[in-house]
Amino acid sequence: MNEQVRPLIVEQARPPARPPRSPLLARRYTLEIRQQLAWHWQALIIAAALVLGLGISAAILMAAGVPAGELLNEFVILTVFDAQSLKAVLFQAAPMILVGLAGCMAFRAKFWNLGLEGQMIWGAIGATAISLFDIGPQALRLPLMLAAAVLCGLAWALAPVLLKLRLKVNEIISTLMLNYLAINFLLHLLYGSWKDPKSSFPYSPQFQPFERLPELFDGISAAVPLALVVALLALWFLGISRAGLYLRFVDANPRVAGAVGVPVQKMIVGTVLISGAMAGIAGFLVTAGQEGRLTQSFYQGYGFSGILIAFLARNNPVAALVVALLMATLFVAGRSLQVFYQIPFSMVQLIQAILVICVASSDFFIRHRIRRVQGGES
Amino acid sequence: MDMIANWLGNTPDFAVPFALAALGLILTERAGVLALGAEGLMLVGALAGIGAQLAYGMHGISLLLAMGAAALVSLLFALMVLVLRINQVIAGLALVFFCQGLTGLLGTLLDWTNKPVKGLGAVELWPLSELPLLGKVFVQNPLVFLTPLIFLAVVWLLTRSSTGLRLRAVGENPQAADAAGISVLGYRLAAILAGSALIGLAGGYISLLSTKLWIADMTGGRGWIAVALVIFARWSPWKALAGALLFGCIEALIPQLAAAGVRLPQYFVLMTPYAVTLAVMIWVASGRNITGNQPGALGVPFIREERR
Repeated sequence: MNEQVRPLIVEQARPPARPPRSPLLARRYTLEIRQQLAWHWQALIIAAALVLGLGISAAILMAAGVPAGELLNEFVILTVFDAQSLKAVLFQAAPMILVGLAGCMAFRAKFWNLGLEGQMIWGAIGATAISLFDIGPQALRLPLMLAAAVLCGLAWALAPVLLKLRLKVNEIISTLMLNYLAINFLLHLLYGSWKDPKSSFPYSPQFQPFERLPELFDGISAAVPLALVVALLALWFLGISRAGLYLRFVDANPRVAGAVGVPVQKMIVGTVLISGAMAGIAGFLVTAGQEGRLTQSFYQGYGFSGILIAFLARNNPVAALVVALLMATLFVAGRSLQVFYQIPFSMVQLIQAILVICVASSDFFIRHRIRRVQGGES
Repeated sequence: MDMIANWLGNTPDFAVPFALAALGLILTERAGVLALGAEGLMLVGALAGIGAQLAYGMHGISLLLAMGAAALVSLLFALMVLVLRINQVIAGLALVFFCQGLTGLLGTLLDWTNKPVKGLGAVELWPLSELPLLGKVFVQNPLVFLTPLIFLAVVWLLTRSSTGLRLRAVGENPQAADAAGISVLGYRLAAILAGSALIGLAGGYISLLSTKLWIADMTGGRGWIAVALVIFARWSPWKALAGALLFGCIEALIPQLAAAGVRLPQYFVLMTPYAVTLAVMIWVASGRNITGNQPGALGVPFIREERR
């Protein structure tokens, strides 16, 4: 096999003659795979991709009716330099960080967890159940809700990972199907026994004041430090702990990892369960922090955001924090566009998808080199 | 008795979108391209179909435009997986999210949401439509009767024509196909375009002929179910058609149960297609023949210069 491939390589080793000038259209190019690219070139290419994505998004926004002058104002100045909306961004960032980390966790274990929304819904349902059935004393209520959210999110991630490992059931489909089951169950609760009798909307009853995440200082919700603590734990888990080291083995080559004694299956199951638990906490943060009750569409947009954050951050928890903050800004700006310009919230999803496509495409230029074919026949 | 006749009569209407989408997926995946974008392409087809119907009011043109729109958007997917060689799972997911955002946005901005359109009149397949119990199965809109013919055509193309042989060769072993002088990327591009057109037709069918209006995210996971369907039909068109009929039966049963006054929790009933998908996937996976018949190079990008 190698003998047949070799001539291609030898081709490059020929003494570099000056390429003869040929007409532009007659030039031929070939693709080569690059082994390595200096990190600053990589960063430059990714940055160029992001700029391209943002440019396309800006063009779409303008086509949708946002005046060009308002774009900068809306997205940068009003959201970052205004204290009120900066708080909104931080508040929004808390669940965003958690779903992003949940995505990183699952992808580190090579598990396509598209069930973040389902796990979020179950986390929220667990937390709300503690509130509805008045379980535990007042002082312990919030920790209990958190624990319930962790357990429920984790439980909803258990089936797909076991099915994948035991029966090789494709986890993309199974987690998505479980999302639809969770959404319908949520609606069953909200239109049924959990519906607030005092309201005509499909909401659960409002949480008691002691069941809502308090504001700590200066209007910053407790959700923000909680998300940061979880992020630190994730950083420790992935970067410092023995499990993180094992996980890198598993990621590089599961069979070799198994041969040198890494408990591959346990590592994968554990990591995916942690991912589910984090999504569950995100559900708890949205219900107990932002909404103060269980609502029918609180989870929308988080599933994709989590995957997107993990992808853009290359599964790195620190980078995930930064990307999550950017996504939160996009969400807050998207809501204000919705209010002021009647632009549907799908715009946010479209912009996210464009960014993913651009950054994923940039990978091509990092991994390949386009080279002119020298001479006529090569 | 009446209920069963109605149920069977409604089944083809619900089965056709699954069948067409699955067929489009099989066509694409036989060429070795992992197509996860069906959900998004169906949405594009559905929205384009409704838009064309609101503008011109002719079903034939609307359905063709639905196919064209999906094929057009799939060019983006082709660019991602064939030229830029992005991981096909990521490209497929990105395509779905792109299409969901795009259709949600356009549906609202162009004001096509919740605008009802006229359906297509039913055609009777005369002697068969007089059958007891099964009669209603043969009173359907023309596209239902066209679907088996489309299947026949695609199966003939895949298994009996030299084009189909080359297409499958590209999906099984692109290096060998390339050495034999077959344009791997050309065949894959054609497979993506043709398959996406069929998926777009499935979407157009849902919006134009089934629900007869557009709502954001109206496909509700049917594209994903079609992806699952292709996996457990082992990339065989006829098995996929049978699976589509099974899901058509289940979806057709939901309104029948409600009409018959069976008291079941509504949202649990709505879960059944998804639960059945999971159950069938588990059932098929616990059987012995797990990887049989899967295209050999499914999801593997091709580059001639790459060492293997």
